[in-house]
Amino acid sequence: MIEPDYIPIAALNHYNYCPHRCWRMFCIGDFTDNQYTIEGTSLHDRVHTVGDSHREEVWQIRAVWLKSERYGLIGKADLIESENGQWYPVEYKRSHRGEFDNDELQVCAQALCLEEMTGQPVPVGYLYYAQSHQRQLVNLSDELRQTTIATLEAVRTLLHTGTMPKATYTPRCKGCSLFQACLPQAVEKVGRYREAE
Amino acid sequence: MGTIYITQDDAFIGKTDERLQVRSQKKTLLDVPMIKVDGVVVLGRATISPAALIELLERKIPLSFLTGTGRFLGRLEPPLTKNIFVRSAQWQAGENSPQAVHVVRGFIRGKLKNYRNTLMRAQRDASDPNSAAVAKLAEGIRRLEHAIAPINTTDTIDALRGLEGAGSAAYFGCFQHLLRAAGFSFTTRQKRPPTDPVNALLSFGYSLLRHDVESALNIVGFDPYLGYLHTQRYGRPSLALDVMEEFRPLVVDAMVLAAINRRSLTPTDFSTEPLSGAVSLSDDGRRTFLRLYEQKKQSQFKHPVMAKQCTYQEAFEIQARLLAKYLMGETDQYPPLVLK
Ligand code: SF4
Repeated sequence: MIEPDYIPIAALNHYNYCPHRCWRMFCIGDFTDNQYTIEGTSLHDRVHTVGDSHREEVWQIRAVWLKSERYGLIGKADLIESENGQWYPVEYKRSHRGEFDNDELQVCAQALCLEEMTGQPVPVGYLYYAQSHQRQLVNLSDELRQTTIATLEAVRTLLHTGTMPKATYTPRCKGCSLFQACLPQAVEKVGRYREAE
Repeated sequence: MGTIYITQDDAFIGKTDERLQVRSQKKTLLDVPMIKVDGVVVLGRATISPAALIELLERKIPLSFLTGTGRFLGRLEPPLTKNIFVRSAQWQAGENSPQAVHVVRGFIRGKLKNYRNTLMRAQRDASDPNSAAVAKLAEGIRRLEHAIAPINTTDTIDALRGLEGAGSAAYFGCFQHLLRAAGFSFTTRQKRPPTDPVNALLSFGYSLLRHDVESALNIVGFDPYLGYLHTQRYGRPSLALDVMEEFRPLVVDAMVLAAINRRSLTPTDFSTEPLSGAVSLSDDGRRTFLRLYEQKKQSQFKHPVMAKQCTYQEAFEIQARLLAKYLMGETDQYPPLVLK
């Protein structure tokens, strides 16, 4: 495998959801659209109209490429805002607050890039939930930063070695768009199966 | 929607916006959104526009070409998936490696057990248990059991091919006793070209099955041209033919027998070419056959390993995924699909 120079920010999110999913998407290119990803895409299509506009004193820039040399990260932010000279990322999410706590990682990774690009500290970011039109503050604490960096290192190792993390069946498999390809219960089921004589 | 079959020689396959359209003599035969198309099979000489071709490739929709009589000619397929891991596991299981022997056992055991179960069902359903036909079926079942029993202790692929040959001979030896409609008979399996209606239907069905199994293998990331049971020795290296084995009786034989026995097709649906004796279906017969095949593929059953309802269409992919899991060392067996 070629060593990727930069880790896609989205990979962190997927890794946190399920390492096997991250492997499927980024090591073997298994990507099937299901309802979730299709809806997600159309929402993103709308958010991703490149351009900037003013909203009172808030600067908004949509669909910005973010990059960090220090952390080897790359990704596209839905929305970056600046208020009183303070930059922060806003990440759009399809539904209400996710059951699994991985969206904050994405905001944090965007903030790490933004800090490097602007040379200013970015203490907070936001998650915007399209269904409830709610913005949620993400406090970019040291703890969250450490978790983000640790996840980033784990993803980097995964992408470099290509070693498959085991597929383990958990409740989140039900909402996973790769379920049909992954068949997370198959190993156990094949192990138990006795062919009819 | 599933697979689209185009049987009209003068048909033109084009695209408008996001839709696939088939026209013939200024009439629109078909107009479907691309998103509903899983595969396209052209039988005969239909023409396809470059725009439609590109759209199919971009959407990773495979396109197969068959002759009007259903012989497989070739296919156009988007690039293989990036799943190098599945392909390298496939290549590492070299000829006569323990994994290759294991999967060949599975393919053959699956096929022969399904053959045997078909004969046993016919035996149970027979009206007169003392008839000569039932005695023939019993004989076929006995010979099949004889071929199945040593499979798991046979260690070379060549010897396994011998068991497969013996089992298939036993099954086709009493295939005629599965036919219950006047005007149809069967003596032996004839392939190139089929010279009787039953053989013509079987060959046609296997071509369609091959298109579907090959698509499933491609989705999972396999190289369909590297097989274990069917290697160079058989003229065409093909994993698609390997994985097809267990499905032949379940999908094709079952629907061919149903089509004949329920009189969906009658002897008048066939014609014979003068010199070669090749038998083929009429246009109407072919449409009926394609409809029945598609219905069979969409019919539901309980997958014995996954313990959930699925269609045969889904089962092609499930079996391919189970094969990948075995070759990649995630499971310690490949379970062929065996149905009672
Ligand atoms: S189905 Fe479950 S194990 Fe498989 S990739 Fe999705 S979340 Fe991970």
